[in-house]
Amino acid sequence: MAFALEFFLRRISQGVLIVLAVAFVIFTLLRIAPGDPIRIILGPMATPSAMEETAERLGLRDPIPVQFLRYLGDIARGDFGNSFIRGKQGGTTGGSQDAAGAPPVERAAVIELIARALPYTLLLAACGFLLACLVSIPLGILAGVRNSGWPQKVALYLSSFFVSLPNVWVGIVLIYLLSARTGWLPAIGYQHIGYVVIPAIVVAVELAPVMIRSISVAVATNVQDPFYEIGQVRGLSARIMLFRHVLRNAAVPLLNSFGAQMIGMLLGGLFVVEYIFSFPGIGLLTINAVFQRDFPVIQTVAIFASTVLVFINIAVDFASTTIDRRLKF
Amino acid sequence: MTILSSIPQSSAPARGQSVNARILRLAWRSSEMKVASLLFLALCLLTLLGPFVIDASATKISVADKFLPPVFMEGGRLPYFLGTDQLGRDLLLRSLVGLRNAFLIGVVSVMLMFVLGCAIGIFSGYRGGWTDVVLMRITDIQMSIPVIILAITILGMSRPNPFTIVAVLVLSGWPIYARVARSVTLAERQKEYVRAARIIGASDLRIMVRHIAPSILPPIAFVAVLDVARMMIFEAIFGFIGIGIQPPTPTFGTIISGGTQYLLNAWWITIVPGCLLALSLGSLNLMGGVLERSRNLVLQGAA
Repeated sequence: MAFALEFFLRRISQGVLIVLAVAFVIFTLLRIAPGDPIRIILGPMATPSAMEETAERLGLRDPIPVQFLRYLGDIARGDFGNSFIRGKQGGTTGGSQDAAGAPPVERAAVIELIARALPYTLLLAACGFLLACLVSIPLGILAGVRNSGWPQKVALYLSSFFVSLPNVWVGIVLIYLLSARTGWLPAIGYQHIGYVVIPAIVVAVELAPVMIRSISVAVATNVQDPFYEIGQVRGLSARIMLFRHVLRNAAVPLLNSFGAQMIGMLLGGLFVVEYIFSFPGIGLLTINAVFQRDFPVIQTVAIFASTVLVFINIAVDFASTTIDRRLKF
Repeated sequence: MTILSSIPQSSAPARGQSVNARILRLAWRSSEMKVASLLFLALCLLTLLGPFVIDASATKISVADKFLPPVFMEGGRLPYFLGTDQLGRDLLLRSLVGLRNAFLIGVVSVMLMFVLGCAIGIFSGYRGGWTDVVLMRITDIQMSIPVIILAITILGMSRPNPFTIVAVLVLSGWPIYARVARSVTLAERQKEYVRAARIIGASDLRIMVRHIAPSILPPIAFVAVLDVARMMIFEAIFGFIGIGIQPPTPTFGTIISGGTQYLLNAWWITIVPGCLLALSLGSLNLMGGVLERSRNLVLQGAA
């Protein structure tokens, strides 16, 4: 237990540092990049003095380190700020305000916007990941166990094919084939669970090649290992060897690649897919926020995304040591 | 006896060659490699010669010719092989220009991230100590910002042009190369030839550039082909979201997103250019995949 405690303490403190650094990078990038959020909040007709006043009120004219420290202080109190643009009802209020501007209290809290969008993103991620698993786990294991034959060819060609398809294009083609042409499935927006199917397929197409490859490589290295043949000499059936021993050993490298690589890919893929399908999740929220220069939303999403990545990496490392006791914390 | 005598024969020519030549030879022996490189060569030729041979324009708007289907469908006519878009511009030529730009962006960004990443990785692995810790933590930070978030933050805020797009791709891609180069350098640093070079008084810089880099970089470079394809996909995604190269220069992303409004009546505007992109990405990925496999075989000593 003491090992585990020390492990978590060390990794979490490192993780907090990483998240802080990411937050600072994004925070600074937003403020040095051209494009003034005040222009979008107040609309094109605002006078320079009104713009200056609003900027002062939002604290956008202070030096960046001062702004960042104030922001961290707010976060420590659990306040991620209010959106610059979005009203409480979820509509956009930009450009339609008088020179005084609506007080920030009437804007939606970022945390609420995210809480409203997160379930959709999680649903999409889960469906896409499950779908990718359905295809790639059997195929990856089959291709890994035998070093030749059709499963390997199928796995190689299928993953080379999938990895060559840009997800934006796959999305449009599927909308055309499954929705616009045939009317089998709904595609744009979200009303009920049926709206998840096509986006989930697109996410799965993006994830499957990476998963097939890493599963087959992990299984193949174990099957080539002497313990596999020794087990068979001892009289264990290939099935027992595979499910009891090979998969357990293969799980460690798999978890590692799934943690670091897959979650990053999944996040990026979700953003694009949500944008294609106008799926009301975090990705669409963020992309719109960028175009509207809605700093608080972008910052919070970046902090959340990197926190998720950091914690998944910690969880993966912990799980690996639990599966394989030879690894040190 | 026949088995024994055949072994030296097959490995004798390989022994005289460098590792890299053996990897290339092994890769070339597979039929996938030949098919993929022929396809790639054909696409290159088409991209180079197309604009001179085809009597149409990628950017000139001609309303009379709008929504023409590809030639293999009813209503299509030459010289518009793949039909025209909503403004009467030739789709094949637009796709070829898009392909050329995407490929250039892919190659340049992968080359830059390769150089930058490997330089940092070798330096970090060779120096060790605090330098190593600091540099590796920086890669951690960079790797925990997803590419798409970084890209929409930077490109969505600034005015996207080819330079900023390449910069974003390099910024998000270098840590992986730094990680790989560092881990190989750590092993390489222990070897005799590095010690020997140090004993005869070679400077650290000289050892890194003249001795370590030539031995560890080529195996990494073979796999970088796969990254060119990935960067081209990113370029298409950027164009689709509207943060890529701006119109009127055609890119796959803008062609596809522009055609989505006409999906029901003129599906070819979005579907056909994507096929061309998928074809070229497929050839790149196949080449990269074969190269990677033969590299692993050669380095493991199996071939």
